[in-house]
Amino acid sequence: MSFLRVLVIGGITSYRALFGWISPWVFFPMVITFPVFEILFFAYLGRAAGVESDEFFLIGNAFMAIAVTGMFGMGHSVAGERRSQTLASILATPANRLALFLGRALPAVITGAVVAAIAFGVGAAVLGVEVGREELALIGVAVLVTSFACTALGLCLGALGLRGRNVSLFADMIAGSMLIVSGANVPLEQLPEWIQKLSSVIPLTHGIAAARELAAGASLGDVSDLLAAELAIGAVFLVVGLALLRVFEWDGRRSATLETS
Amino acid sequence: MTRAFLGGVRIHLIQFTKNWFDVSAVLLWPILYASIAYYLLDAQNDPELLVAASLGAAVMCMWSVVVIGSAGALEQQRWLGTLELLVAAPVPFAVTLAPVTIASGIVGAYSIAATLAWGTFGFGIPLAVEQPLAFALAIPACVLAVGMLGLITASTFVLYRAAFSLGVAMQYPVWIATGLLVPLSVLPGWIGPVSWVLAPTWGFLALREATVGGTPWPDLGMALLLSAVYLVVATVCLRGFEHLARARATIRLT
Repeated sequence: MSFLRVLVIGGITSYRALFGWISPWVFFPMVITFPVFEILFFAYLGRAAGVESDEFFLIGNAFMAIAVTGMFGMGHSVAGERRSQTLASILATPANRLALFLGRALPAVITGAVVAAIAFGVGAAVLGVEVGREELALIGVAVLVTSFACTALGLCLGALGLRGRNVSLFADMIAGSMLIVSGANVPLEQLPEWIQKLSSVIPLTHGIAAARELAAGASLGDVSDLLAAELAIGAVFLVVGLALLRVFEWDGRRSATLETS
Repeated sequence: MTRAFLGGVRIHLIQFTKNWFDVSAVLLWPILYASIAYYLLDAQNDPELLVAASLGAAVMCMWSVVVIGSAGALEQQRWLGTLELLVAAPVPFAVTLAPVTIASGIVGAYSIAATLAWGTFGFGIPLAVEQPLAFALAIPACVLAVGMLGLITASTFVLYRAAFSLGVAMQYPVWIATGLLVPLSVLPGWIGPVSWVLAPTWGFLALREATVGGTPWPDLGMALLLSAVYLVVATVCLRGFEHLARARATIRLT
């Protein structure tokens, strides 16, 4: 019960604080602009290169938007507290760490999913891509699974925020690499073998592949192996992230580096 | 004013090289975007197209460094509490802000070397600059073009606390509208006239023409002309936005 209370109230308070800092009328157009134009950019690049369909880039980049929000939202949950000099105060509480930081990341993840859905809709309208309602509902399942996996990766980044000062650096590098490695914008078979091997063990790759198959008319059963792989990868990152969170917090307390900024 | 401008460029160049976020962005992103372009465009087996893609990816990253770097620099000034002092200084604010975008452009110019080297060594794209002199002049012209467009956008950042996020959001629209990686021919027709008034379009064309052996000089001239116009526009915008920020008392808000 305490876990849920910390998660929900902490999350809501954190989200309200966001709008104390920025007006929603500025925030939402701003966050929607990026994924919409990212989708259009790569779709038009694909057209120019004569590679893949608009749907390929639409799905790949809408999922990238979800991944980025999950990773950055979770990664920044720790870094943000450090920046506003409240990290030591919240770590002094006995509250469950996962509830504390997940609560701060969940609103960002939900916002990311909403933003990705809007970007998908706008992108589809501009590019003239049609995806049926039934397929969209099934893609929603892939979105949830992928969002979980990417947020779990974000937890690892957030934990690194207890140790390093610039988590944005890692998050930015990983997000950039995912543009290629996850197959969001380049067909996996065109990539070198070592990148293909790497892509099979990171979040996002299987989620995108599943969504593309679902959009093409596959059933959930047909992509169950892909979704299971995405879930398993997310679970591994979740366990690693929780372990890192515990180790780095202990080390930060021992070496008095929690507030180093 | 010259001393303030040159001193500002020097300080911001030093600051950029001390910030690992900026350094990694400059190191990594040109290579990433160039790689995506190579993998996608490789299907057409056209070396000239791939060289143009290298340069396009380089100018894209130059723009990113300028727009994100200047947004980040302004946000940092807010957090450090020094933005008010800069605004209050007797030197026009444009002279204080322009070094940020020009220094970012200079740092971003590294992208040209990075993408060309990556294309040559990583993907075997033959590199030969047909007109070295024009190419050497096109680089600072491109830096100036990107930097001055950055100055106009940075003037709006004075108003908003969310400058950094705003800077991030402005990357793709300019990448698309300037036809850096995506040819304007595949974009909706109305984007063409928009691209003509964007100085980076001409800076990129000057670089490309100098590399593949075309007529870079008219493009170079347009880049310089538009940069001069941008300076005037940015100065007017800055004056207005600075006044607004003073009136609303938002300069110090973080």
